Amino acid sequence: MIKCRNIYKSYPMGHGRKEVLRDVNLDIARGERLGFLGRNGAGKTTLIKLIGGVELPTAGRVSRQMSVSWPLGFGGGFQGSLTGYDNARFIARIYGRSYSELREFVEDFTELGRQLQMPVKTYSSGMKARLAFALSLAIEFDCYLIDEIILVGDQNFQRKCHYELFEKRGDRALVLASHSPEVIREYCDRALVLDRGNGTVYSNIEQALEVYSAL
Amino acid sequence: MASLKEGWRIQLRVIGALMIRELTTRFGRENIGFLWIMVEPLLFAGLVGIVWRFMKGPDEHGINVVAFVASGYIPLTMFRHSVGRAVGVFTANSSLMYHRQIKILDFIFVRVLIEVIGASMAYLFIGAVLVYFDFFPVPSDVGYLIYGWLTYALFTFSLCLILAPLSETSDVLEKFIPVTTYIMIPFSGTFNMVSWLSPKVRDIMLYSPPVNAMEMMRYGIFGDKVMPYYDAIYPNAVSLVCMLIGLILCRRIRRRLVVE
Repeated sequence: MIKCRNIYKSYPMGHGRKEVLRDVNLDIARGERLGFLGRNGAGKTTLIKLIGGVELPTAGRVSRQMSVSWPLGFGGGFQGSLTGYDNARFIARIYGRSYSELREFVEDFTELGRQLQMPVKTYSSGMKARLAFALSLAIEFDCYLIDEIILVGDQNFQRKCHYELFEKRGDRALVLASHSPEVIREYCDRALVLDRGNGTVYSNIEQALEVYSAL
Repeated sequence: MASLKEGWRIQLRVIGALMIRELTTRFGRENIGFLWIMVEPLLFAGLVGIVWRFMKGPDEHGINVVAFVASGYIPLTMFRHSVGRAVGVFTANSSLMYHRQIKILDFIFVRVLIEVIGASMAYLFIGAVLVYFDFFPVPSDVGYLIYGWLTYALFTFSLCLILAPLSETSDVLEKFIPVTTYIMIPFSGTFNMVSWLSPKVRDIMLYSPPVNAMEMMRYGIFGDKVMPYYDAIYPNAVSLVCMLIGLILCRRIRRRLVVE
């Protein structure tokens, strides 16, 4: 279970502050699949960062009673000057996993081959997405936080993600931020629509998509 | 209790991983790798020692000049490098904030620890070489030397704990830090013993924690050839207070940290 209670987040902007999230409340149960909808800048990524503990809320509380992945986006969480292998080694160390098993999975899943010996900053966003996905799948979390990323890969990558995440790990919880109605419709049970800092949860996906398209 | 133990275990794991990561990003795997960390203090201590040897003759106040310079410069480089590395450490490491088990305290601790280990190795190496050529005495009391060294290192760490979050709050402050560390040199005890100074200056100097630590180290090395002035507890008490302030500042800055 992840509980977000009265979450506020604001950033300094000029002389004042920009309020991105205003009193957002949210529960994510084990195995639940939640979609985040909202226009650019509505706070989807910010909320994912708060749930993942990358940034801390200005006010309010996030409590986690299950293991939560780091937010999977375009390369966040990597050291660009290190190679793919070095990043994998680092992740294995800090999460206390065996490197040899992790490496095998990463090689197999990413299909990046010799590119893994190159610094991550030379990767395309699709390649970074592959690596990020492979590492977090190898660690095995109860809940995965995914920011748009699922759409950047090619067909083969999307098929693999689909298999690993939705078939093999169908029991895991998921938070998915996306602009694509098809993706939300296909993968999510509920959806949160963010608009001007306010978040509303809809149990009915079609209703959520309707609200979203009217924004 | 169990969760506290688990927490320690995770922190040790994280610190180990961060050390390896820092060493590979900074020194790479080519040629002598992380041994580079001792090269700079060695060069500094060696070259400045030689220059002083020709400027001031072989002895100063009855102590070998080369040994005196080496014993002062190595702690000083450790201090200045640690402070330099602590500035902007959160921005430089922001990608690590994606992993919740890594705490911002770990960044500072790891960076200072690497400097301390590197400087210790340099000290050991230069000491052994100079002892062999008879430029350096065999330490008369290793206990004093080690206690002084640890006191110096603890002060360095506690100061970094304050400077790292402060450097993140204001760019102006960040610009002033290099100048400040330079001005601090006379108050670090690097170039003189307190006993060489007038009693009035002496009292002022002893307010500086690194001076106390340096006096203890020098006494550990040169023994009764020098007359040390120090308080063994005072510098560590200052460090503990600085650490407390630093911890509060780190906690506050973490809430405001914006991660890309």
